[in-house]
Amino acid sequence: MSAIVSVRDLRKSYGAIEAVRGISFDVEAGEVFGLLGPNGAGKTTTVEILEGLRRADSGTVTVAGIDVTRDPRGVKDRIGVQLQASAFPLHLTSREVVELFAICYERRVDAQALLATVDLADRTGQWNEKLSGGQRQRLSIATALVNEPRVLFLDEPTTGLDPQARRNLWDLVRRIREGGTTVLLTTHYMDEAEVLCDRVAIMDAGRILSLDSPRALIEALLRRGFSKPVIHQSASLEDVFLDLTGHEMRED
Amino acid sequence: MLLRAYVRDRSALFFTFFLPFLFMIIFGFLNFGSLGRVDVGIVDEAGNPDSERFVQSLAQIPSLRIERVARDAMARKLQRSELDLAIVIPADFRIRPLAAPAAIQLYENQATTQEVAVGRAIIGDVIDRISFAAAGSAPVITVSRQEVSGVRLRYVDFLVPGILGLNVMQLNIFSIAFALVAQKQRGVLRRIFATPLDPRRFVAAHGLMRLILSMVQVGILLVVAFLLFQVQVVGNIFALFAVALIGAVPFLMQGFALAGWAETENQVPPVANLLTLPQFFLSGVFFSKEAAPALIRPISDLLPLTLLNDALREISTQGATLWDVRSQLLGLVVWAVVSFAVAVRLLRFETP
Repeated sequence: MSAIVSVRDLRKSYGAIEAVRGISFDVEAGEVFGLLGPNGAGKTTTVEILEGLRRADSGTVTVAGIDVTRDPRGVKDRIGVQLQASAFPLHLTSREVVELFAICYERRVDAQALLATVDLADRTGQWNEKLSGGQRQRLSIATALVNEPRVLFLDEPTTGLDPQARRNLWDLVRRIREGGTTVLLTTHYMDEAEVLCDRVAIMDAGRILSLDSPRALIEALLRRGFSKPVIHQSASLEDVFLDLTGHEMRED
Repeated sequence: MLLRAYVRDRSALFFTFFLPFLFMIIFGFLNFGSLGRVDVGIVDEAGNPDSERFVQSLAQIPSLRIERVARDAMARKLQRSELDLAIVIPADFRIRPLAAPAAIQLYENQATTQEVAVGRAIIGDVIDRISFAAAGSAPVITVSRQEVSGVRLRYVDFLVPGILGLNVMQLNIFSIAFALVAQKQRGVLRRIFATPLDPRRFVAAHGLMRLILSMVQVGILLVVAFLLFQVQVVGNIFALFAVALIGAVPFLMQGFALAGWAETENQVPPVANLLTLPQFFLSGVFFSKEAAPALIRPISDLLPLTLLNDALREISTQGATLWDVRSQLLGLVVWAVVSFAVAVRLLRFETP
C-alpha cells in the first residue's frame, strides 16, 4: 500500500486563531480514513486545504501525486468532494445536477447509471431541493463521483441524517471503497468512525492526538487499564429504534 | 443548464417578463403625452422691443411652453415633434397701429393636430389683444400658416424605447446580483469551485445567459408594443437589438460587481436600487429627461441608462443609424469598461 494523501506539518491560522497546528498524516490508497474530532477541532479546515479550497500557511500537502499548494486546480480534477453546508442550484433535477457537474469536469457521464449507484435511480427527475436530507447527501456524493476520483472527501456526511439514512450512507461508502476509491471522511460520531474507517486520526484543537485503526486504539486504551462499568446490554436504544422503525430507507 | 434553472424560477420570470408589460400597459394607456402643454418654438429674427413684447405676451400664457430656437433647429424640432408650433418673427417686425400689419409665419406640426389647434387659437387671441391695445380694432399682426409633417410621435412611441432600456438595466443588474449572491449564500458557489471549472468561464456563462435573455426580452416587448399599441419603429430593428446588447454590458458588469461585494441577499436590493432608481427617473424612461432640473442635466446625461435610452429612442422614433448614435455607444462602452474593472476587483471566489 502506498500513501495517496500525504500531509506534513500543516498549519493554518485565521487571525489569532490557530485552526490547524502542525499536523502530519498519510492516507493509504484504498482505505477509508477518518478524521475524528469535536466541532472546531480543525477537521474541515484540514480537509478544505487538501481539496485545494484553502491555502495552508505552511507545510506540504500531496494528494494523488499533486502538490496541492502548487496546483489546486489539478487536484480538483482528481478528487471528489462533498462539502459541509453546500447546496446545488435551485430548480434543477437530480439528473441535471449531475450533468451540470459533468460539465464542470468537462466529462461525459451516464447520469442515470451514476444516480443508480447512489440509490437515486427513481429520483432522477425530481428537483434537487425537494429531496430529503439523506437523498440530497447521496446526490452530493454522486456529483463527487462524476470525475471517477482517486480520492473522495466527505465532510461530516451523516450529520443531521436519521439512523436509517446514516446506515444507508455507510453502505454506500463501503461500496465506493470496494470500487477502489480512497475515502477520507470527517465525523464527530464515534460509532461511524468505528464501523466505517480502516484508520482514524483523532483531532482536537488543531492537533492529531492519535492515529491508528479503531480496534487498535480501543485495545491500546484497554491495555492501559481502562475499564468501563460493564453493563450487560447487548443492544442499544438505536437498535430498538431501528427494530421498531425498520432498516430500510425512508423516502420522505 | 443555468438557463433551464432560471426559466423554472417563476418569480424571476415574473419580474423579467411580466413586470415590463405592466409598465408598458399602465403608462401606455395613461398616455402622459396628451396631457400637457403646447410646445412653441420662436425664431425671433427681429430682436427689437416690439418682437420682445410679443414674445413676452405669449410667454405669459401658462399653457404654452415657449422656447427660443434658431431657424435651422426649428425645422428639425418640428419634424421630430419636439415642437407643436413654431413662429418665425421676421427682421422687419414692428407693431405700428396705422401702418401695414406685420406678418409672422406660423409653422404647424401636422402630427400634433390637437396641440396645434389649441396653440393657434391662443396665439390668435394674443394677437387680438395686442391689436386692441395698439390700434383699437384693426389687426397689427397677420399670420400666414404653413404645415410641416412631423413624426407622428405618440407617447407610447416615446415610452417603448425607454421601457426597453429600463428592462435591459433591471434584468442585468438585479438578476445577476441576486442569482450569484443567493448561490454564494447557499454554498452553491463553494461546491462549484471545488471542481476544476475556471471561475472566469462560470462568470462568462452567467453573463452570456443574461445577454441572451435580454435579447429575448427586448424581442417580446417589441412584439407586444407592435400588437397592443401599434408602435412604429422608424429605424432599423436590428440596430435596436444591437444597441440593447451593447447597453446590457455595463449593467451586467455592475451586477457582477454587486454580486462580488454583497455577502447576503439582503444587501443586494438597497445597493441595486441605489444604482437603478435615480436612472429610473432621470434617464428619460417614462418622461423626457428634459423634465429633470437643469442643474442635474449634465449628470443625468452621462448616466448609462440615459445613453442607452437616447440611442434606442433615436433609432426607434427618428430612424437614426448605429453611426448616428456612436457617441452614446461610446459612452456605454466606457461605462462597460469602468464597471468591468470594478467587477474584477470585487468578484472573488477564493476563500482565504
